[in-house]
Amino acid sequence: MKLTRTPTRRSVLSTGAAALGAAAFVRPGLALANTPANLQLSWLHSVQFGGSYIAASNGYWADEGLDVTLTPGGPNAPVEPPVVSGTALVGISAADYTAAAVAEGAPFKIIAVAMQKNPFAIASLAANPVNSPAGLVGKKIGMSTNNTPVLQALCTLNNVDINEIEIVPTQYDAAPLVSGQVDCLLCWATDLPVAMTIQGVDNVTMLMADHGYSVYSQTYIATEDSIANRRAEIVGLLKGEVRGWNDYQKDTDAAAVLTVDMFPDAGLDLEAQKLQAERQLPLMFSDLTAAEGFGWFTEDGIAQNIETLALLGRQVTPALWDRSLLEEVHAV
Amino acid sequence: MTRTRGIHGWLSALAALALWEIVAQIYPNSFVIAGPLDVLRHMAENTGLLSRAVTATLHNAAWGFLWGNLGAIILSCTVILLPRSERTISLLALTVFCLPLVATGPILRVLYGPGNGPQIALAALAVYYTTYLALVVGLRAIPQNWSDLTRIYGRGRMTELFYIRARASLPYLIAGLQIAAPAAILGAMIGEFTGADRGLGVLTLRAMRSLDVDATWALASLAATVSILVYGIIGWIGRRLVAHPASILMTPPPVQGRENWSRSLGKAVALIALVLVLWHSVMDIFDLNRFFAKRPLDIWRYLTTNDEARSTLRTALTETSALTVPGYLAGLGLGAGLAILLTLVPALSATVLPAAIALRSVPIITTAPLIVLALGRGAAGTIIIVAVMIFFPTLIACLQGLRQTPGQIIDMFDSYAAGRLRLMRWARIPAMLPAFFASARMAIPAAFLAVTTTEWLATGKGIGNLMALTATTSNYNMLWSAIVVVTAAATLAYLVVERIERAILRVYASEQVQG
Amino acid sequence: MRCSPMSGAAVELNGVSKVFGTGDAKVDAVAPLDLMLKAGQTTALVGPSGCGKSTVLRMIAGLEDPTTGTVQIGTETPKALARRGAVSMAFQDPSLLPWRTLHSNIALGLKLARKPSNPDQVNALIDLVGLSGFGDRRPAELSGGMRQRAAIARCLISEPELVLLDEPFGAVDAITRNRLNLELPPLWRDRGTTAVLVTHSVQEAVLLSDRILVLSPRPAAVVADITVDQTTIPVPNTPDFQRVCDDVSDALGAVAA
Repeated sequence: MKLTRTPTRRSVLSTGAAALGAAAFVRPGLALANTPANLQLSWLHSVQFGGSYIAASNGYWADEGLDVTLTPGGPNAPVEPPVVSGTALVGISAADYTAAAVAEGAPFKIIAVAMQKNPFAIASLAANPVNSPAGLVGKKIGMSTNNTPVLQALCTLNNVDINEIEIVPTQYDAAPLVSGQVDCLLCWATDLPVAMTIQGVDNVTMLMADHGYSVYSQTYIATEDSIANRRAEIVGLLKGEVRGWNDYQKDTDAAAVLTVDMFPDAGLDLEAQKLQAERQLPLMFSDLTAAEGFGWFTEDGIAQNIETLALLGRQVTPALWDRSLLEEVHAV
Repeated sequence: MTRTRGIHGWLSALAALALWEIVAQIYPNSFVIAGPLDVLRHMAENTGLLSRAVTATLHNAAWGFLWGNLGAIILSCTVILLPRSERTISLLALTVFCLPLVATGPILRVLYGPGNGPQIALAALAVYYTTYLALVVGLRAIPQNWSDLTRIYGRGRMTELFYIRARASLPYLIAGLQIAAPAAILGAMIGEFTGADRGLGVLTLRAMRSLDVDATWALASLAATVSILVYGIIGWIGRRLVAHPASILMTPPPVQGRENWSRSLGKAVALIALVLVLWHSVMDIFDLNRFFAKRPLDIWRYLTTNDEARSTLRTALTETSALTVPGYLAGLGLGAGLAILLTLVPALSATVLPAAIALRSVPIITTAPLIVLALGRGAAGTIIIVAVMIFFPTLIACLQGLRQTPGQIIDMFDSYAAGRLRLMRWARIPAMLPAFFASARMAIPAAFLAVTTTEWLATGKGIGNLMALTATTSNYNMLWSAIVVVTAAATLAYLVVERIERAILRVYASEQVQG
Repeated sequence: MRCSPMSGAAVELNGVSKVFGTGDAKVDAVAPLDLMLKAGQTTALVGPSGCGKSTVLRMIAGLEDPTTGTVQIGTETPKALARRGAVSMAFQDPSLLPWRTLHSNIALGLKLARKPSNPDQVNALIDLVGLSGFGDRRPAELSGGMRQRAAIARCLISEPELVLLDEPFGAVDAITRNRLNLELPPLWRDRGTTAVLVTHSVQEAVLLSDRILVLSPRPAAVVADITVDQTTIPVPNTPDFQRVCDDVSDALGAVAA
């Protein structure tokens, strides 16, 4: 079990957990001499993190002298606590979450951006489509009420009165839309709509990023302390990520196959993974990344993020972002 | 079990399956419910995947079950050996049980790192409290003479516990373990939500998001089937171990010294101080980062300086209480009512009990959408979801309590040809009261958990929604404030129920009322 | 096989009283009582229901502490005697543990008295109380009389110096009771064990005891102290027997009136 660098109480506890009969999470085939590092993913294993799996299976991190553990997330696994505790060297978050955490005193920096375009979308059935923010008026939208600020921001950006939309609190699940309880859903373009398509439900998505909602997503975060003291490891980790995601861009189907092979117990459907892999491609790669490399972000992009975040009630400064590590990664 | 009863059971099971298929047909293409035929097909097509998931989840559930129940046994024996510690231990156990998953999940994940630790810990946390309460009742439920028997030889509580109480409490322990079995499986599944790479919980999440309703119901059916099996096995072991009929409890009411208010106030203050010190020191000992593991002083500062936070919290608490009280009463009523019904008409057990265990062990994220679809998002739907989530321990505890009616008393009623209803009213229900009140106490934190979960899943209001929100916005000050508020409310409710319990048990079961 | 008889202990009560509760709920259960019970004798406490005779017994057992006064058994306190395993008690309800066999219920008496286990001794006593062949049965499989015999056996297996009997035959039918009254008392009497018996039955008291103390209604006080000559009297339905019974009944009638 390679998690923490120093034997802390935490590792004692982990050992205890192993002694309780818990199978240790050991990644096979990695040289022992490599420095262990933990990358905290934001959700369960899926092709959403396909580039990372490519990096792991092709030994891109071993090349950097790293032994990276990919820790899955989940509905009750916020990314920020393990990163702030040092259990994870780097975490996958989103600009709005990170801004909130920083406002609560977490010393985070955004060091790279996997999703240039925010994946939030309004999904609706083809028979009753919502194609523009104005089309939301008079509709019932199913969403977690926690995302009300997101909808509010979209409305503000597009001069729509949020009071004319009926918000129905639902689980993060496409069933209410398919069963006709709501007219549309606030969700990621890469999951519920993919599921509906795979299930043969004809649907339409409207990407919020195409309507002014500029919040970087799937962002890489690290603490100021780690950036100062474990800089080489973070740079190495990002280098592996960049190589992995570059491979991913070339062949998303291969990434989907690898994901399904690596996690046979995750219940992944290959066709759904292929479609998801394809759908997230335009969110992650653009002319900008073609020119500057994977994960890049610009001052303009930061300025737009700051504007949208302000609409979400988050006041942030460009100091939230630190591109210096990425510059090192791409300088080589 | 007789042959006719066996056939009866099979017929009832078939009827239940048919009903299920019919409901599935009522909502075709709703993507909310799949019928048993689709479920079976999915299981057949994914045997390998499902069996690996069941193995993974059961493995964690089994360890959690073991540790949680061991903890419960140690705690309840402590209470028997040191009766003065009861208040403190009960309220501390309640406090820990009140901690919502939103708070404990991330902390456990940080403590354990990757692996099965959090799943095992959450399964253990899901079972220890109900077993503890059931066992304390059981350890106390001995006749005064048995207790005198050890004292007459100058032996202490330890001997009494070893030779008498331990064995006498076995039926209660078995009932506790039966309640714990589905809870452990559910706890392990929810533990997987803190980041796991295999298990029934992982697959359930995946299936729901993939709109794969066959898979969702196949997983729910698997969880339910496994729970029913474990429940049955524990019951079978219990029947083998406890072949003797219940003995009559004749206890003179103990003489009560009335406690004055200043003394109880002093005790309350001491207990709160103890909780705060434990809270602070546990977090310090494990070196948990203050960003997400707030200390009592942080919360004090946050709440005393932040008017907006206080009013947010107050509004949320009001909304939550408005649902918790009816949901709690509905759940208790459903549990006790079903127990009475099953005792009056034992033939129903074969149908109702498996259905009850299934309802208990199917993750609420699977059933809630169906209930919402059928009943809407209004108060009725919410109250039913809450009742479904909490009725099970009450049902099992009350059934066990009803069985505790001493044989001699049943014979006496039979000799008057008094009839089942009179026997129920005059003998069985009073015999059930200690178990009922134990479950009324154990249902309090469960009701809060149920309501907060429902708020998060269905209504988007109240403390539950607030807590879910805090996790996405890293507002851990608010999360811990909400925990404090919920715990305080639960403790208060606990004390109220305890007061009612004491007043009633003083008449019906004085061996339970100590000091 | 018989073990050598043990000598019983004398019981002395000096100004023993018992008050339950405080304030309005105060109940005077036992008035200050001075008693001297001779070693090896069986003393019966009779009196109207609820008069406090069981409380006297429980104070002698060390199960209740007297509000005033002291109880002395031999040279010891009741609790010291209990710690040596030198006292045992039988209740109206046989209080056998339903999960133990008859044999192991009786053996429990040895265990609780911290005496080495001795299956042969247990079997011998099972024979002696007339339960031969039932050693591996559980209480639920035995009749009420058999259970009561087992309870007495459990009481005697530890060879106590003092035996306390709280209505031990109160819950069995009259015929069984008469048989038990004739068969069981020699078991402790012959060993020279001191015994204190609480009973409602005048006949039983006369049959079993060397001395009968008639207690008044609450608070309990001794209103009659009747000596029974066990060498001549304990033959039921003889004029002598009937005369003692009448004496006790008269005393009881007087306090009940």
